[in-house]
Amino acid sequence: MTSLGLAWRTARRYRARTLLAVAGVAIIGALLFDMLLLSRGLLASFADLLDSEGFDVRVIASEGLPAMRVPIPGSADLADRIRGMPSVRDVALIRMERARVRRGADRPRVVTLVGRTQSGVGPWTVVRGASLSYGPVGSARASGERDSASLPSERGDCPVVIGRNLATAFALEPGSSLDVTATPAGIASALPSVACRVVGLVDFGFAGVDEYAVATTMDAFEAIVAEPSHGEADLILVASRAESGGGAAAARAIAGLRPDLRVYSNEDVVAQFNRNGFAYFRQISFVLSSLTMSFAFLLVATLLTVSINQRLGEIAALRALGIGRRRIAAMLLWESALLVGAGALLALPLGGVLALLLDHILRQMPGLPERLHFFVFEPRALVIHVVLFVITAAAAAAYPVWLTSRLPIAATLRREVVG
Amino acid sequence: MQWACHNPAMLTFVAALACAIALDAAPDVLVSRQLAARAHLTVGDTVTLAADANGARARTFRVAGVYEPTPDPMRFTAERIEGRLHLPDLIALTADPHDPASAESVNTINMTLAPGIDTRRFIADLASQAPGVTGWPTARSRDDDPFVVLDRFHLAISVVTVVGSTAFLLALMVIRAEERRDTIAILRMVGISRRSLLTSVAVEGLVTAIAGAIFGVALAFTTEGLVNRIFQTRYDTALVFVRVTPALAWRAVAVAAPLGIAAGLAASWTLLRRNILSLFRR
Repeated sequence: MTSLGLAWRTARRYRARTLLAVAGVAIIGALLFDMLLLSRGLLASFADLLDSEGFDVRVIASEGLPAMRVPIPGSADLADRIRGMPSVRDVALIRMERARVRRGADRPRVVTLVGRTQSGVGPWTVVRGASLSYGPVGSARASGERDSASLPSERGDCPVVIGRNLATAFALEPGSSLDVTATPAGIASALPSVACRVVGLVDFGFAGVDEYAVATTMDAFEAIVAEPSHGEADLILVASRAESGGGAAAARAIAGLRPDLRVYSNEDVVAQFNRNGFAYFRQISFVLSSLTMSFAFLLVATLLTVSINQRLGEIAALRALGIGRRRIAAMLLWESALLVGAGALLALPLGGVLALLLDHILRQMPGLPERLHFFVFEPRALVIHVVLFVITAAAAAAYPVWLTSRLPIAATLRREVVG
Repeated sequence: MQWACHNPAMLTFVAALACAIALDAAPDVLVSRQLAARAHLTVGDTVTLAADANGARARTFRVAGVYEPTPDPMRFTAERIEGRLHLPDLIALTADPHDPASAESVNTINMTLAPGIDTRRFIADLASQAPGVTGWPTARSRDDDPFVVLDRFHLAISVVTVVGSTAFLLALMVIRAEERRDTIAILRMVGISRRSLLTSVAVEGLVTAIAGAIFGVALAFTTEGLVNRIFQTRYDTALVFVRVTPALAWRAVAVAAPLGIAAGLAASWTLLRRNILSLFRR
């Protein structure tokens, strides 16, 4: 009989303890697997969220997230210059403001109002209806230009796309109308409402779970905030050409145009997020991974050692029958591998379910984008999981193997008989 | 000169005038410990501050002290490279000369309400009297506190760990019960009842679990300082990351004790429910 066969028989003979040990390893393994998913999950999800917008360079006026609006002076001219660069494929100007939305007699809702110029790539996914329309295809104009001389409110033209939260709150559909009033932070204002028309329901990438978001054209935005076109955006998004060196090269070139601004490629943003916002989860993931591995090692090693101590007579008898040290050691290794292997395998689906639960808990954090996740599967997590459990199985079997290899056969058998 | 300027008895009129001019020309600034270390600053040094990177409208300040920034769990990963100025000095440094209103503007006004005043009501009154001003209570509600969410996350992880370790404990107790199969058979043979044996197992489980929990709490208590030092050094902060409180220790014991008893009873019951002959493998 092979060592694997012997190990399998032992596992079947002591069924209860085997099942309990496998269950223990599976639960601890699930936690380890989740910590591996967490170790880069938020970062991977954040990078995916940035990339899904289709833009890979961001230009802002100040570092961090200012509480007050920090406009980019001369952003329309800057956008035109950026658009003229050979490494750039597309440019969009973004403005954001706080606003209040009212529909009929319903309680008004505070929303994040986004205005953006036309661009080929969209930062949202249309769920129902259409996206914002900027006129005939091919008439893409420079960022600072307007569709016509009149303001949209004068033309009665304020198309908006809304997030699903707002659509649910007001029972809105494409074609519905709503009144939007800008309420700029930090200044006293009493701006009139602008009647807008919902053209589509969309998923905003960066909108929070409980956030109401509305996006419109830059013309309509300026009508709502009652500002003529200053060409001062809060954010300029740039899509680079991959063949010209990608986002990093484009960011360097744009920074050369305006040294007073902050220019970040998606990689820069992710790296900054990794240094600051993500550090806590990286630390807790490392600490808990180390703890769970130590825990699994200690417990499997203890189980095997106690089990071997109970079976010393049996092992001495096997040795007396002529089964060599190596086969006994291989049997113990297989026993460890069966316990740890079965537990680690079960840990994967269990870890998946647990990850959903933990992700649900963490995503209740206020202000978190709806599409951001903490636990993201990556093949490397699976590889590390397997490698760590192979090491654990081998390390946990080391002491019992050493114990049995030094076992005096005659003395042990005699002790068993006398006992 | 520094000493003389701060000892009026030593001053002549001219010296006093010179000191007044010197001190007036260099208002005080407090710098954070991290900034002092980074820029090699000590108390009494003179530094130049400007609101923009070009150094326009720079002013000279005297370092009057070095302070430890108040630990902020929301910003513990941020480098606290900061300084504190008197408000008029900050406004003079940052105000836009072409915008008279900027010399009268501040970002935030902190206030303490008189006892009995309802915060929400006050904020609503403020918003109606000063449009554009937004008030926030400094006390977070449970809905918008990220630490409440983190607390739930840690609790969920603790529950998983406890469930996993209970499975292992049960496996160990099963092995231990198997080891004592012959002993139990003999005890049953001489007339000791199942109830007495179960009670003894329960007491043994209780003692083992409490001993384990006390060891765990003692381990946590002794490593608390080490863990805090590691993270405080890593993030250069005075924030306390781990604190083993009596309530936490009691909770650990309260969870461990019933689990230990239950594991002991469950493992032993597989043997105790059998008849005596089967315990002797007959």
